[in-house]
Amino acid sequence: MRRISEVSESIRIAVESLRMNLLRSILTTAGVVVGVVLVVVMGWTIGGLDAVWEKTISIIGKDMLYIDKWDWTGRGNWRSLESRKDITLQHAELLKQKMESSEYVIPIARTWGGSVVRGNTSLRCSISGTTTEYGNTSAAELTTGRFFTSIEEVRGEKVVVIGHGVAKSLFNEQDPVGQLIKISSVPYRIIGVIEKRGFLFMDFIDNQVFIPLAAFRSTIGMFERSVSVGLKAGSERMLAVVRTEAIGHMRAIRNVPPGSADDFSINEMQAFDEQAKNIRVGIWIVGMGLTILAFIVGSIGIMNIMYVSVTERTKEIGVRKAIGARRSSILLQFLIESAMLCVIGAVIAFPIAQLIVGSARFLAVDVLHQEWASVVSPFVPLDLLGIAVGVSIVVGLAAGFLPALKASRLDPVEALRFEQ
Amino acid sequence: MSSQSIIEISNLVKRYEMGDEEVYALRDVSLTIGHNEYVAIMGPSGSGKSTLMNMLGCLDTPTSGTYLFSGHNVREMDDDDLAEIRNREIGFVFQTFNLLPRATALQNVELPLVYSGVSKEERQRRAQEALERVQLADRMTHKPNELSGGQRQRVAIARAIVTAPSIILADEPTGNLDTKTGHDIMALFRDLWQAGNTVILVTHEEDIARHARRIIRLRDGRIETDTVNPDA
Repeated sequence: MRRISEVSESIRIAVESLRMNLLRSILTTAGVVVGVVLVVVMGWTIGGLDAVWEKTISIIGKDMLYIDKWDWTGRGNWRSLESRKDITLQHAELLKQKMESSEYVIPIARTWGGSVVRGNTSLRCSISGTTTEYGNTSAAELTTGRFFTSIEEVRGEKVVVIGHGVAKSLFNEQDPVGQLIKISSVPYRIIGVIEKRGFLFMDFIDNQVFIPLAAFRSTIGMFERSVSVGLKAGSERMLAVVRTEAIGHMRAIRNVPPGSADDFSINEMQAFDEQAKNIRVGIWIVGMGLTILAFIVGSIGIMNIMYVSVTERTKEIGVRKAIGARRSSILLQFLIESAMLCVIGAVIAFPIAQLIVGSARFLAVDVLHQEWASVVSPFVPLDLLGIAVGVSIVVGLAAGFLPALKASRLDPVEALRFEQ
Repeated sequence: MSSQSIIEISNLVKRYEMGDEEVYALRDVSLTIGHNEYVAIMGPSGSGKSTLMNMLGCLDTPTSGTYLFSGHNVREMDDDDLAEIRNREIGFVFQTFNLLPRATALQNVELPLVYSGVSKEERQRRAQEALERVQLADRMTHKPNELSGGQRQRVAIARAIVTAPSIILADEPTGNLDTKTGHDIMALFRDLWQAGNTVILVTHEEDIARHARRIIRLRDGRIETDTVNPDA
């Protein structure tokens, strides 16, 4: 009960004392303001990167593995990768028969340097031959039409599903479904359009078309072509199981002797996660360093002003002691004042941080037209508000401790005699 | 020990070290003050009366000798015990009023109750009562700089009596007031004494001391005379 009344009294005193010296209080908190702004902007940046990253990853599919001759993240020696045996359709076929843990095994034959022609317009794009199962992956969500059926696949019918970019370039606002385009002079009938997935540096993904594997073989040809095999695990949890099983089968299929390295790569988004983590850690280290520096500078300022405040109010401390304030009451009073100084800093910092964050996003999205930035939140995250205020309070308590201790230990007789 | 005595001091010594020199502010002071007494402590400056007041008010502890406050040995108390006894048993009135400048009259009077943990409603009720007793019920929301000197001292007196302390300890309470206002304040102390309070005045003015029933004169850290004042 005593503590409660003392705390509310201390808060009242602190508010009044800070209001009396408003300008001085605000200037004192400058270091804390900078610290909080840094924490918040840094937290927002990392949050934004995560959102961009999440979106990027979802394009490729979080539950997908791709067995390929090449490693996507650029690991391994180019020469040794080059010397690997091609992955053939037969390998893919055998793997498909053996795999038990995956939902689908999808061979994809691809040429990056293809082109499609409508009338007089030619468009460079990648052409992939695959199976009907590709239509069941998240990479093939359609805005209109349908994916090709297993019958069309087996017959090698000349049907094509086009990416958003291709549709836009060749047909603009028109509905392309039912129209004809030529691939290597062979007319194909468009049966579906894949939704827009291009994002950040992944724009090329909208510039591709998908045709049945048998059609690919007849139109483009399989000569000296390594296919990639997509494995749909069904869920992220199943990835490890599917990976292990696939590696075992592939080694057997390709007669890799025990003890030697795999002669194929397993590509998945997790490999990129490692790189993303490094970026995050880098931002944290730089940001935390700056933040700690700002808080140190801030706390020195606060300590200084609290010493001034204790000296200015020596007489008041004497009076309080004379009428019954304990040491702890005085300590508490000055600690609360110091903590409130820091909270003021945090309160000032928040609109500033919001302004920075809001402008940064506005600049990226609306001025520079960086579409990828639109997934980043335009607002300062609320949980950071809590953290920043908490940190400020701790810093305030730490900075105010020595001055408050000095105040609490003043001799009442001496303090009462003090005249300014 | 009489059950009526609040203060029992025997052979009290207070020694200060000023560099190499030892200064005796009080040498062998013995004194008993009972319930509902009205005592004036007098003496020229340097006589030790301020030191004695600090002792009586539990703001300072003696170098040797014993000081029993309501039977409790003050010398054995730590800082928190002293703070508590000041809070509950002693009401201070200072020459310079010593009100908190940014708090209202009511908040100033409430302050001792804050430190004894009285609830807000109870605090306000008792502080209002105390202000009514010093005839300042109409000035409760005024801050010290909106009040006259006499009014400020009355707020201070209200603050001193709000905890219903065992003694009211006034250090030159009229020193900063004109004669007329000083008389009003002394009349207030008389009322408080007649209402059953124990009042101890520290002063160097004969006029003021004359209000008390008992006058103790100090010189060079010793009690010179301790007499009953027949005029009061």
